[in-house]
Amino acid sequence: MARAIWTGTISFGLVNVPVKMYTATRSKDIRFNQLHVRDGSRIQVRRFCAAEGIEVPPEEIVRGYEIRPGEYVTVTEDELAALAPELTEGIEIQEFIELREIDPVYFEHSYYLVPDKGGQKAYALLRQAMEQAKRVALGRVVMRGREYLTAIRAAGPVLVMSTLYYADEVVSVAELEGLPGETVQATEREVAMAQQLIEALAAPFEPEKYRDEYREAVLQLIEEKAAGKTVVPMAPKRAEAAPPVDLVKALEESIALAKERAKRTA
Amino acid sequence: MRRRSIVVAVDGRELELTNLEKVLYPRAGFTKAEVIDYYRRVAAVMLPHLRGRPVTLKRWPDGVEAPAFFEKQCPRHRPPWVRVAPVASSGKRPVVEYCRIDDLPALVWVANLAALELHVTLGTADAPDTPRAAVFDLDPGPPAGLRECAVTALRIRSALERRGLQAFAKASGKSGLHVYVPINAPATFEETRALARGVARELEAETPQAVTTVMRKELREGKVFVDWSQNHARKTTIAVYSLRGTAEPRASTPLRWDEVEELAASGPERWIERLRAERVLERVEREGDIFAPVLELRQPLASPQQ
Repeated sequence: MARAIWTGTISFGLVNVPVKMYTATRSKDIRFNQLHVRDGSRIQVRRFCAAEGIEVPPEEIVRGYEIRPGEYVTVTEDELAALAPELTEGIEIQEFIELREIDPVYFEHSYYLVPDKGGQKAYALLRQAMEQAKRVALGRVVMRGREYLTAIRAAGPVLVMSTLYYADEVVSVAELEGLPGETVQATEREVAMAQQLIEALAAPFEPEKYRDEYREAVLQLIEEKAAGKTVVPMAPKRAEAAPPVDLVKALEESIALAKERAKRTA
Repeated sequence: MRRRSIVVAVDGRELELTNLEKVLYPRAGFTKAEVIDYYRRVAAVMLPHLRGRPVTLKRWPDGVEAPAFFEKQCPRHRPPWVRVAPVASSGKRPVVEYCRIDDLPALVWVANLAALELHVTLGTADAPDTPRAAVFDLDPGPPAGLRECAVTALRIRSALERRGLQAFAKASGKSGLHVYVPINAPATFEETRALARGVARELEAETPQAVTTVMRKELREGKVFVDWSQNHARKTTIAVYSLRGTAEPRASTPLRWDEVEELAASGPERWIERLRAERVLERVEREGDIFAPVLELRQPLASPQQ
């Protein structure tokens, strides 16, 4: 079993539930190391002073915030530490809301909460009560020196905690251009047809049906290379030697073809 | 059968165009052929602004709804007649060979690479440290927008007039405006930077609630960020008439000052339509290159700015 990344208590009212936290998702991105192509040794990152060209030891590095080009305000670790939220060991539940009120865009990362020593009973109670009330707990938690807004929900046998973006981190729809306004209205018949199509394609959510095919192809490439097969990148295709066409004529034909095709599918 | 590639003749050069029917602007159904056709038709007014400059390509091989990438090093598979501009670099290559887009075949060739955006330096390949113009890059922090940029651009024009300098405006094609001060006389980037910084700080001091010289997004909500730091030998700005990788096919369009005044008074509703590729071509047909003075007008910078 994976290692807990955090332990603490969920507190609401008079009840405290000791819990351990585990990450609920893991990214499977393939990570490469950087190597020197000539001798295959690892590439190291060193920090250099741009002005002096010398390597800078960590104790001489401070954080700077660029306020205008070339001008920085420096901030020390102590100053940041003084602002950091108090290190509480708990998830403080503020209120209970309905899950469907949270737009999925707010969800950041998800974690499983598992009862810690002596927490079995209280955990079961909280989970069952939330499931029956069909409500989600909204709370605050401090992790890695930062305070997060989180939503805790009952999902089958487990409580799942998701960190949420703060409202001002979500890009406002008002910043988008080109959304169809009230003036663009489809006819009832068009909507009915589109709905029929949606019904025809309706299916249960089965995420296991979908795979990251790019990742699988990269892994296959690596396996083949490791097995000693030579892998040659595909050579770009040569054009057949046809006599050149006038540019304007070629473009006009292509545009007419595309318009024709758009008309047919419209 | 669908032709995926075709060899065309352009001004005596032969080049291969690929996937002409590929839709690069899905919302508008605008295909690669239409992109190439736009560049072909705008070439007469655009090429003088590209000629002799190192050009950075921003390419959208799968259209504007898929990822894009910047390309400084001119692709190695370029036709032999595409010239390059070698520029010493501080990056991982000691010398970067930028594409030079001096003629129609080269412009058609980069358009075929889905290089929707062409970015150029303020100096030329032969004299990279001599700015041909000074530039102010006006970028609004929402909820400020194009209208607020127009108000700020007009104030920059007045501030420059007081210094005896004429300025020209263009839309970035996205959300901002650019103001250019033609120089075309000996000058250094220190001088153009000092000029732009001086004007920007003056405006910021007058109306700190409307104008900022602070680049950080979170510190410029509702204000227009006047970026004077683009006045640098290595920095690039979107070329005039270049398309943008926006949802709709829009271009960085030169604007007359009376249009900027109108925009400042009325706001950008429907106004943004003027930046669409086909409207830009109509404008060019009607008015020619209203941005030509940026290449021609000689305005030596007098004694150092105070």
